[in-house]
Amino acid sequence: MDPVKINLVGMPGIVCLWILTVLAFGVFGWRVSRLIKLIRQGRYEDRFDNPGRRLLHALKHVLLQPRIFNERAIGLPHFLIFWGFVIYATCFNWNLLRGLFPFIPIPYPEELRIVGLFLEVFSVLVLISLVVAAGRRMFFPPPHLHLSFDANVILVLIGLLMLSTLFGSGFRVVADGGHGSAWAPFGTLLSKAFGSVPPESARRLAIGMWWLHMALVLAFLVYLPYSKHLHLLASPFNVFFSQAATRPVGDLTVPGAKEDMSAGASRWQELTWKQLFGGFACAECGRCDRACPATASGHPLQPQQIIQKVKNHMVRYGLEGADGTVPKLVGEVIREDEIWACTTCMACMSRCAVWNEQIPLIVALRRHLVSQGQVEKNIQDMLGNLQRYGNSFGKSDRMRAKWTQGLPFKVKDARKEPVDIVWFTGDYAAFDPRMIEITQTTAKLFNLAGLDFGILYEAERNSGNDVRRVGEEGLFEMLRDKNLDAFSRVKWKNGTRIIVTTDPHSYNTLKNEYAFPDGGVVVRHYTELLDELIRGGKLNLNRRLSGKMTYHDPCYLGRYNGVYEPPRRVLAALGLELVEMPRSRDKSYCCGAGGGRIWMEDGPNIKERPAENRIREAISLNEVKTFVVACPKDIAMFRDAVKTTGAEGKIEVKDIAELVAEAMNVEDRKPV
Amino acid sequence: MNILVILKMVPDTVEELNVSADGKSLDSEFLRFKLNDPDEHALEQGLILKEKSGGKVTVIALDAPEVDDVLYTALAKGADRAVKIPVSQAGLGTKATAKVLSDFFSSGAGAVTPDTLVLVGTYAIDDLEGELAPMLAVHLGLPYLGVVSSVAASDHGLIVQKEFAGGLRGEFEVELPAVLGIQSAEKPPRYVPVAKVRAVMKSAKIDEVEIPAPTDTVCLDVQRSYKPEAAGRAEIFEGSPEEVADKIVDALAKSGVI
Repeated sequence: MDPVKINLVGMPGIVCLWILTVLAFGVFGWRVSRLIKLIRQGRYEDRFDNPGRRLLHALKHVLLQPRIFNERAIGLPHFLIFWGFVIYATCFNWNLLRGLFPFIPIPYPEELRIVGLFLEVFSVLVLISLVVAAGRRMFFPPPHLHLSFDANVILVLIGLLMLSTLFGSGFRVVADGGHGSAWAPFGTLLSKAFGSVPPESARRLAIGMWWLHMALVLAFLVYLPYSKHLHLLASPFNVFFSQAATRPVGDLTVPGAKEDMSAGASRWQELTWKQLFGGFACAECGRCDRACPATASGHPLQPQQIIQKVKNHMVRYGLEGADGTVPKLVGEVIREDEIWACTTCMACMSRCAVWNEQIPLIVALRRHLVSQGQVEKNIQDMLGNLQRYGNSFGKSDRMRAKWTQGLPFKVKDARKEPVDIVWFTGDYAAFDPRMIEITQTTAKLFNLAGLDFGILYEAERNSGNDVRRVGEEGLFEMLRDKNLDAFSRVKWKNGTRIIVTTDPHSYNTLKNEYAFPDGGVVVRHYTELLDELIRGGKLNLNRRLSGKMTYHDPCYLGRYNGVYEPPRRVLAALGLELVEMPRSRDKSYCCGAGGGRIWMEDGPNIKERPAENRIREAISLNEVKTFVVACPKDIAMFRDAVKTTGAEGKIEVKDIAELVAEAMNVEDRKPV
Repeated sequence: MNILVILKMVPDTVEELNVSADGKSLDSEFLRFKLNDPDEHALEQGLILKEKSGGKVTVIALDAPEVDDVLYTALAKGADRAVKIPVSQAGLGTKATAKVLSDFFSSGAGAVTPDTLVLVGTYAIDDLEGELAPMLAVHLGLPYLGVVSSVAASDHGLIVQKEFAGGLRGEFEVELPAVLGIQSAEKPPRYVPVAKVRAVMKSAKIDEVEIPAPTDTVCLDVQRSYKPEAAGRAEIFEGSPEEVADKIVDALAKSGVI
């Protein structure tokens, strides 16, 4: 029963198969080569480093798809459809090979009983998954899922592929005498319905199903590079080439760049090939939009739209050669208020199942705006302050260590006296009046633990983390160089140079973006240090605290750097009962301050600020009275949100250091 | 249009200001200098004029700490030429500063052409009277208008808006050449990214134009400099509204008001 040994439309089957195959692969190859040529017009970026690690990363995230399972309703169905695709694609190629080259001494896949069984089982699993997927789209679509016609076409197409396999099996059972077999359970079941079909007709119908199946797959192949389902081919490469495979997730450098990237991108050709490629990997699932605090607050930004707009703009003007003046990428295709709304919280990127990189793209657009001087007044003032005074508060740099004046001991000047640890406080801990008491408390804890630490006094500059994310790359480099210069003057006692930061934003950039020239630098967040000190018995907790609290993971500590456990261990050691918010750890919800947002005004259409939303989330937990934070900006943002949501008296925002101090009765102790 | 913008460095009040040991001047130890705010607006107005009506913008400054950064920043923003007069601004009174600047115009390095427009910040924290621009205009024999908030080119020269007390504005037609004291530009001064300033530092250079230092540097003799003395103290009453009310009544009675 060789399906190619028949005549179709007056031609031998094998000739028909050859014609269909050449046509389909031809169109597919032509389209794909044009798309590749298109993205190659983007700027060069080296994403070919460490192929071994990239491959492992891709295998894990393509074959196992852990991020797909983040959303339960579609997790398993997608996983099954994917594996169905893998099996069916393999068998299709096998069929094709056997059909095109009949002299190859292999059977058709269905002729092997075990393969036939596999195909049948998966076709049923995939059909069930398709029903779930279609039902989700029709009856309870999650917000921001793009309900495109495209998606329905694909679901129907996959369904037909599965049905043609099952029907083919059913007809084969009838053609073979109708006895059925345990190796073809669903075919046997179906054959009962075809009992009245004569064997010869059944045989022809079985062959017809084979042809239908092959033709549909070939049609699918042609359709694929014109539809959003290109993600099925593009995403494995996108995952393989993703930055997080070999570098920190928040890195903003472009390795191997041949142009100056600090002026950003004003046209799509000024984005990198990888940024352009991401659009074809995007499955329009909306995970990023659902995670985005800017989207949820009513800002015009939707991370998915950024990716999609770039893709559509590029295809329209780079591939289809649309007439008329090309709209400006920055300002027209993507509006300025979209670009500025991003808090760079990493929620979108850490949720994206195809590992797209929305934040570096947004920063590239911001860089262009900054290079043109198109920044709002507040940001401009802030950048001016940072240039001149090295802090965002516009205070004299000589005031940076003023907070130490209230301490019962003198904090060493790390530039003049040898120290083990340099404490990089960051702007908010040093200048914000709301923070100073907490910073002093932290200093007392370090002192009681017997740490030999110092600060950089007026030589410390803003770390530049948020400046960089605003898009002012030159200023970031200036601040970094000044800080590196200050660190180079530190007289370290030991070979291990420890820098501890209060601010997670500073932590991120010092740890991942400073590239200390002599190496040997260990950057620690104060919560990591407190955890080590408590576990090492250096901090004696002589009072067990009690009560329920919840902990807010700062974006730049958690999602950016994976520090989830140390603060939790500290809280557990204090005796407090941690009640997790529904959105915790990598799902933590940004306070809204990152990426320079703390310096910007909210637009008029803001429904609910992220920090307010977060406080409401915490209040909804049972009997939680304390909202614990580990970031100075969080103190500012959440104490404000407690007031604006009218939650005073219901919940209190506390820094983790304050709680440790309570458990140690710090105020009653003499400094060391 | 030949636009010349005078830039002047003034003490940065963000830094701690102290009176020096002689009791007559600012202690220079913690003193840092920054560009006078209205001068930044004068530059912005000059750049806007150039963009709208064409021309050339030259920025001119006397020597002072950090003045090079300011001149390079002006070039990065779009000025065509930067001139530094190596006469130290420190200790020069407004009259002497105006003399040095007017000497620049007669030095051959910057002649007053028929299309010359000189823009000066209308005041500075060390020249609140705003005397620099009018004095310079007198030296140059040019018309002067101060407290200007908008300048536009017209057929016969310029249309200039000037602010008066009580929120009044006047519109003037000014023929070139002229000197204007700028209060604020039509738009806030632009931001120029650090990378651009650094690039300009590498590619452009600042012209130095030698001008003889003035002999009479200061025409006023300062008798004494001092920090403002605290005039009184605020007291905050705490307690319930009734208690606070009682305390207020007591305080008023004590002071003789009731």
